[in-house]
Amino acid sequence: MIEMLAHILVLAGLVISALLVFYFRDLMAAALASGFFSFLISLEFYILQAPDVAISQAGIGAGLTTAIFIIAIRGTQRYEEAGK
Amino acid sequence: MMRMSKIVRTCADLMYPFVVIFGWYVIMHGHLTPGGGFQGGAVVATGAALVIVAYSYQEITSMLKKAVLMVQESTGLLLFIGAGLGGMVLGFPFFFNWLANSGSLFGMSVPYGPNPGELNTAGFLPLMNIAVGIEVWGGLTLVILYLLSGLEKGEA
Amino acid sequence: MRRYLSVAVMLILAAFLMFIVTGLTFGNPQYADMDDYFIQNGQEQIATNNIVTTIVFDYRGFDTLGESTVLFTAVIGVAMLFRKFTGGEYDEDE
Repeated sequence: MIEMLAHILVLAGLVISALLVFYFRDLMAAALASGFFSFLISLEFYILQAPDVAISQAGIGAGLTTAIFIIAIRGTQRYEEAGK
Repeated sequence: MMRMSKIVRTCADLMYPFVVIFGWYVIMHGHLTPGGGFQGGAVVATGAALVIVAYSYQEITSMLKKAVLMVQESTGLLLFIGAGLGGMVLGFPFFFNWLANSGSLFGMSVPYGPNPGELNTAGFLPLMNIAVGIEVWGGLTLVILYLLSGLEKGEA
Repeated sequence: MRRYLSVAVMLILAAFLMFIVTGLTFGNPQYADMDDYFIQNGQEQIATNNIVTTIVFDYRGFDTLGESTVLFTAVIGVAMLFRKFTGGEYDEDE
């Protein structure tokens, strides 16, 4: 029962954070939302009893990918233009 | 000369040693707990990425040297292959775990069934974990450092 | 019009993926002799409590060697891509 509840919470959080990535105009906030998405995936792996995959997902997906996005935003501009 | 605010830099300084220590814990206990060389190396590289994102390129190059990271990555791969080749000198096949159950370094034996475990076991699996950990740490840090260096050179 | 079409395509794709998931069997994997061998003998042969590490680094050591080589090659590719060439000679950095 408690496991089912954790599954539902994590999967709902996945959908919400994936929608937030498209909602934000501030690209730094969008990158952080995508990092939070990866963190929730790693939590889901842990609930499904795959701690090995959870650690590598938390390291590479949530850490390094977000760092690469932030470096790329540093090279361009931070805010998306409102027109398109 | 772009860097993040003072709050981010202080938090990165505070978090860095703990992330590195946790990554080394995952590497060293790879044969007892979930994780291993690749996962632990990725965690240590995340700590380095935190510092790289927080500071500017000029400040980073005084902390992390590209040449050191390159040597580190190559050393990891050479150690991994050398651990496999070490058994061939003694007449064993390639990648044979001749240190396990031998009584010497990392050579204690383990009974069958659930037990708490002992750090001094598993033959050369801990050595391979350390080799892969060093390689992944150097490699992933080097990727992010090269991305940042390409950015800063384009501006100048 | 184009917006509704994209939404419809997304819905059809989602329904197709959900239809595939209903056919999968979670929780009762097929019986295999190899798994039993690893679980029975891995702890005594390699003296390791973590069976996953035993498989990844010892029984399937060549896979890990290939994985390390792939990572090394990828880093070399990134280093070649971001090196700055100035007048035929490469830039000596640090």
